[in-house]
Amino acid sequence: MGDPADTWPSGKEHYQIEGSIGVGATATVYKAFCVPRNEKCAIKCINLEKCQTSVDELSHEIQAMSQCAHPNVVNYYASFVVGEELWVIMRLLSCGSMLDILKRKIKAMGKEQAMYGVVDEVSIATILREVLKGLEYFHSTGQIHRDIKAGNILIADDGTVQIADFGVSGWLAASGGDLSRQRVRHTFVGTPCWMAPEVMEQVQGYDYKADIWSLGILAIELATGTAPYHKYPPMKVLMLTLQNDPPNLETNTEKKDQYKAYGKSFRNLIKDCLQKDPTKRPTASELLKYSFFKKAKDKKYLAHALIENLAAFPVANTSSSSKKVASGKLKKNPQGEWEFEYDSSDSDEEEEGKSQETVKQEPIGDGAEGPTLNLVLRVRNQQRELNDIKFDYTPQCDTVDGIAHELVTAELIDCHDLVIVAANLRKLIELAEKKSDKRGVTFALNSGVAPNEIPDERTLTGFAQISLID
Amino acid sequence: MPLPIFGKSHKSPADVVKNLKEALVQIEKGDKKSDKAIEEVNKWLQTVKGIIYGQEGQEPNSEQVAQLAQETYNANVLPMLIKNLAKLEFESKKDVAQIFNNLLRRQIGTRSPTVEYLCARPEILITLVKGYEMPEIAVTCGSMLRECIRHDHLAKVLLHHESFYHFFTYVEVSSFDIASDAFSTFKDLITKHKTICAEFLDTNYDKFFGEYQKLLNSENYVTRRQSLKLLGELLLDRHNFNVMTRYISNPDNLKLMMNLLREKSKSIQFEAFHVFKVFVANPNKPRPIADILLRNRERLVDFLSNFHNDRTEDEQFNDEKAYLIKQIQEMRA
Repeated sequence: MGDPADTWPSGKEHYQIEGSIGVGATATVYKAFCVPRNEKCAIKCINLEKCQTSVDELSHEIQAMSQCAHPNVVNYYASFVVGEELWVIMRLLSCGSMLDILKRKIKAMGKEQAMYGVVDEVSIATILREVLKGLEYFHSTGQIHRDIKAGNILIADDGTVQIADFGVSGWLAASGGDLSRQRVRHTFVGTPCWMAPEVMEQVQGYDYKADIWSLGILAIELATGTAPYHKYPPMKVLMLTLQNDPPNLETNTEKKDQYKAYGKSFRNLIKDCLQKDPTKRPTASELLKYSFFKKAKDKKYLAHALIENLAAFPVANTSSSSKKVASGKLKKNPQGEWEFEYDSSDSDEEEEGKSQETVKQEPIGDGAEGPTLNLVLRVRNQQRELNDIKFDYTPQCDTVDGIAHELVTAELIDCHDLVIVAANLRKLIELAEKKSDKRGVTFALNSGVAPNEIPDERTLTGFAQISLID
Repeated sequence: MPLPIFGKSHKSPADVVKNLKEALVQIEKGDKKSDKAIEEVNKWLQTVKGIIYGQEGQEPNSEQVAQLAQETYNANVLPMLIKNLAKLEFESKKDVAQIFNNLLRRQIGTRSPTVEYLCARPEILITLVKGYEMPEIAVTCGSMLRECIRHDHLAKVLLHHESFYHFFTYVEVSSFDIASDAFSTFKDLITKHKTICAEFLDTNYDKFFGEYQKLLNSENYVTRRQSLKLLGELLLDRHNFNVMTRYISNPDNLKLMMNLLREKSKSIQFEAFHVFKVFVANPNKPRPIADILLRNRERLVDFLSNFHNDRTEDEQFNDEKAYLIKQIQEMRA
């Protein structure tokens, strides 16, 4: 790291942004090109005005990242302030996350075939071995990742596997980096489907063994294409995880023998990771000695088996590679009434068809109206899942009140939020008319949160966001 | 079978420290053997960690730890490790910080032997401060410095050394990870030990706030926001009563806050409010301060009435705001 050839410049002027590859509530990730180094990279731009995380916490995260040097942990290059944003420069892993790859693979093999397993055992062994090496390093430096899942495992086109998103990773140890083993965390973070029971319970706190549980869920996800209980709303997932026996490959099955291609050593690994008593779960180092990993091959194999034949199925250009978002569109039917349609995540052809539909919307008016704006409202539904509701707005033709009203009657937003959504929609439209740089507004909802939730702008719990899309 | 990380070394702590020192001497010479020596250091640091933290899930042996610490002081290994930090491997640098911080926390009864050791050798602390000038070791040195600052004697040494003023440069470097690390160290230095800090700020008021003013006017949004927030914390700390009184008697400071209240950034406006309120709430406003407030009375009342009205949940803020508006309205020439 001390080598000057290894340093990345701190300054906006050295980077050319090529396009966004992910949008979150307060940050956007771009593919970019570093001119002086003649090299590609990824840039995460975090809006510090909107971001609920304090600068101190962010600084802690960046520190954690910069103090990691391991082939299986995403490479951090540099960070600097640009206006009100923090730019974090990282390695670009051009194949995206394992979640993207799972989706593309399901599409490539067809749903029927995917029912019998999405990724083969050899590839799973190869991926999990790399993830475990990263975790072993992580845990040895006193950190817990806390959000291990396919969406946070990134793949480069040479087959390199890296753990990403330190968004919620916290230091196990105090500021000094003391590795005393007793220290445990007491914060509730992560995605419920991948969350270990002790993390959900929040009684005794948890330690690095929480990541081992998530790894077990990841193993199931790679084989079956989804995490167990993925169909259920978060609160139900918590209940099922706490009350039922630990999940296994068969938790998701519809037919008998659906996953018979997966052998004993793989099942054994899953079983050992998914033990409710964290002390019984093996460590990352112990897992690496499991017989299942005798099947693992090198990254060339992954590049070939996992990526090569996916070329015909491009990376889905969703704005949410790491966030589970149910998206859909609010559109007018021939009778001029609004309709909401879900984009089901496993039928992307349909989505492409739809997006063409909306582009050609006949303007109804005298032709004096301004350009049509494409907007998206991101909000949680009654089941608390994130929804992306796309709609457009043509001045003189649509009214803000009208749209807000439709959102309420379609039961997409709570009626308490009618005014606040309308107010923010107007605000954003006015900003757009003024050609402001601001492309989105995030605001608190009057309907508040469910009794067991804590309002959080980042996860849009008790908040919603309206953004302009191109 | 692969060898365990910490080896099956039966070496005594004295041998371990001796070997570590020999390798460090090699590195200092900088000849062709130094590459090998860098690996050696890496290896011995692992062994040291094994002794301090215990191996493979076992509790550390306190007698061995005591011996190791004593040998470390005797051989003066700590200053050598810090001096050559930039030359060590990536993981070794972190090991050095971990070992250093652990030794610093070690207590025998009420005594902290490593603190005493460092008190007698303040130049080690200054080397750590200078570490902020080398990107590859800046954050590592920062973590050791903050551990030092937890001890009042060491914090005092650092505060009263001229190198303290280098921090005003370090917190503004373009690399965010280094600048923000330097800022947390800086903040610890001027807030951790209330009495020492208050005395320092009082005696060095002009020089300190002369420099601080530059941070509040920085081009860098984060520097501006962070330094403004810290200023609020400093002024509202009762230990700094004298400093606060001086600060809120200076009309230039008031003008700066009034400008910051109108910054584009909502977060900066909000932090500025918490400093501005101290000027208004001062029952003994000096003439020049009262004059500025009086001259701008109407505009200030208007401005504050519309200030952050969306903060409906924050009862405290709304009470304070209402109070300020009233205070300003009722001011008499």
